[in-house]
Amino acid sequence: MENLKEDLKKQIIEQLNLEDITPADIADDALLFDDGGLGLDSIDALELIVLLEKFHGIQVVNPEEGKVAFRSVDTMADYILKRKS
Amino acid sequence: MTYIGAEVIISPLGRTTAENWAAVSANQSGISLVKHAGFDNSDLYLSKILDLVDDYKFEKLISDALTAVSAQIDPGILISQRTVVIISSTKGELDKDINDPFGKSIAALVSKFSLVNQPIVLSNACISGVLAINAASNFIQAKIYDHAIVIGCDLISDFVVYGFQSLFAISDKPCAPFDASRNGITMGEGCGAVVVSGTKEIFLNGSFQLLSGTSANDANHIPGPSRTGEGLFRSVKRTLEINDVAPDEIDFICAHGTATVFNDEMESIAFDRSGLTNVPLSSLKGYFGHTLGAAGVIETAASMQMMRHGTLLKSLGYQESGTSKELNVLSENVAAQPKTILKTASGFGGGNASLIIRSL
Amino acid sequence: MSFITTYCHISADQCSVNGKAVSARDRAASESWFKQIYKEQELVYPKFYKMDSLSQAGFLASELIKRENKGLTGRYKDDEIAMLFANQSSSADTDLRFINSYEHNGAPSPSLFVYTLPNIVLGEIAIVNKWYGENMFAVLPKFAPGFFADYGQILLSTGAKAVLCGWLGVLGDNIEVFVWLVESETNGSLNFNQENVLKLSGFNPA
Repeated sequence: MENLKEDLKKQIIEQLNLEDITPADIADDALLFDDGGLGLDSIDALELIVLLEKFHGIQVVNPEEGKVAFRSVDTMADYILKRKS
Repeated sequence: MTYIGAEVIISPLGRTTAENWAAVSANQSGISLVKHAGFDNSDLYLSKILDLVDDYKFEKLISDALTAVSAQIDPGILISQRTVVIISSTKGELDKDINDPFGKSIAALVSKFSLVNQPIVLSNACISGVLAINAASNFIQAKIYDHAIVIGCDLISDFVVYGFQSLFAISDKPCAPFDASRNGITMGEGCGAVVVSGTKEIFLNGSFQLLSGTSANDANHIPGPSRTGEGLFRSVKRTLEINDVAPDEIDFICAHGTATVFNDEMESIAFDRSGLTNVPLSSLKGYFGHTLGAAGVIETAASMQMMRHGTLLKSLGYQESGTSKELNVLSENVAAQPKTILKTASGFGGGNASLIIRSL
Repeated sequence: MSFITTYCHISADQCSVNGKAVSARDRAASESWFKQIYKEQELVYPKFYKMDSLSQAGFLASELIKRENKGLTGRYKDDEIAMLFANQSSSADTDLRFINSYEHNGAPSPSLFVYTLPNIVLGEIAIVNKWYGENMFAVLPKFAPGFFADYGQILLSTGAKAVLCGWLGVLGDNIEVFVWLVESETNGSLNFNQENVLKLSGFNPA
């Protein structure tokens, strides 16, 4: 689980082209779409859907699902494990 | 006064304006299910010209449009040094030359038709067509040119289809603008043309008055419209003001109506703020799909056909209001003689544009 | 009477404002030239990093012009500054990256796709400044000072009090960016006309 979260942080940084950010800068429970978190927007949310497909083979068919699943690295990891089981 | 006429439509519904009018007035749609069109190999609803098999499709369409236009105006106009051709398009001949999507086809057009002035390509996302018609009128009123031929053209390509798929913006059924069940756009391709001139005598088949309008930016978000419809509201407000037209003089609105949840909602808010919720309104995207850079020209041309034939087309795909401000969306064709039609467009990059056509 | 009051040039190696150099490229640096300018000029706008090259170029030039032309933003109403831009390659730079995303990188990238239209740069400048005025982007075979003079003048006589004009040649490492501000209610020394636009551009007339 910890590896998954660490990997997710690296993937987020890569997929979203985040500047000057390392995995250590992203707390597991930081709210990604808040300004205090990573300040992601709706297009970033769509890139996270691409990330899930590319790195985890998971297809998100409805972008509305993403709103809940992508709130933080914690919720993303939970979502991935749930989809894979 | 500026005049507009000689309208041309080339779409899946037909290669001539007459064919297109016959189809849309019978409420036929150019949308069909195209197999394996999606990035994931899925079948997608598209408004595709299925028998367009030329090597250089964009070049072919704009050339055919210019030929059709020239048959409806004074012969000397095309090659006059007082004439300019304005092309409105987002991607041109993208599949053939991504580094220069317009160069070859524009050069071919100049050569084939002996055009004197270098055509101007306007590329402003989905408002390009309306913007180009307004620009044409502005050039003429400033006496830089006397006549302008505006051609709007865009093709369906994997590039654009995959792009809109990545935004989850493509509807899984033929698009239903303003409808409660709408869930995205149906992509379309086609070519429209109109002629704008300061002289009504150049038109062999009569013309209309063009009350050219304005454009305004939302200054809000790149791919999504302003939630308050700010840019569209400002554009419509100024277009009405500079032409001294009151909201209650508008007989029909040919809206943008792409059938995304956000766009149509934004338009309803903007029209409500403008006092236009009772005006009969349709989106033509159910007939032609969303033809991007061509939309503003094709749909203005179709509006002119409505005026010529005394029929307001129903908004194909609409059954039940799905916007917070209810609009007077036509669910049946209406026999009417509209005197004044408002055409609007909105697009990526926060653009919004509008213009008015009036019968003489 | 309208005047060119402020201008910015960006080439592959140099950035200058009103003819004075403000940044020189460090080819040894790992980061892109536009990011170098952004950091060196101490601009603060995190959304810059999400922009494509065309938008970054337009953003940088307009910010440097604003900085040089103090009081610009307060001088006009929010819809009185129009924007008139053009180039030869449209959004080709980003188009190629988008194609790469689905041909070689697994899936079409939405964040690249939204920049595959040349007018997006105008949207970005409008957003940062809250400018609600007229915007136009043209694709022309080469730099055409006459087009800017003609349509710039039209914009000034139909409601705009200032026009931000720009030629954004950005394709790979071919960078020919020239952005200039025309104002009609401020006195200046350089008349806004075709000859002066061409002269100031430094581009070849051919």
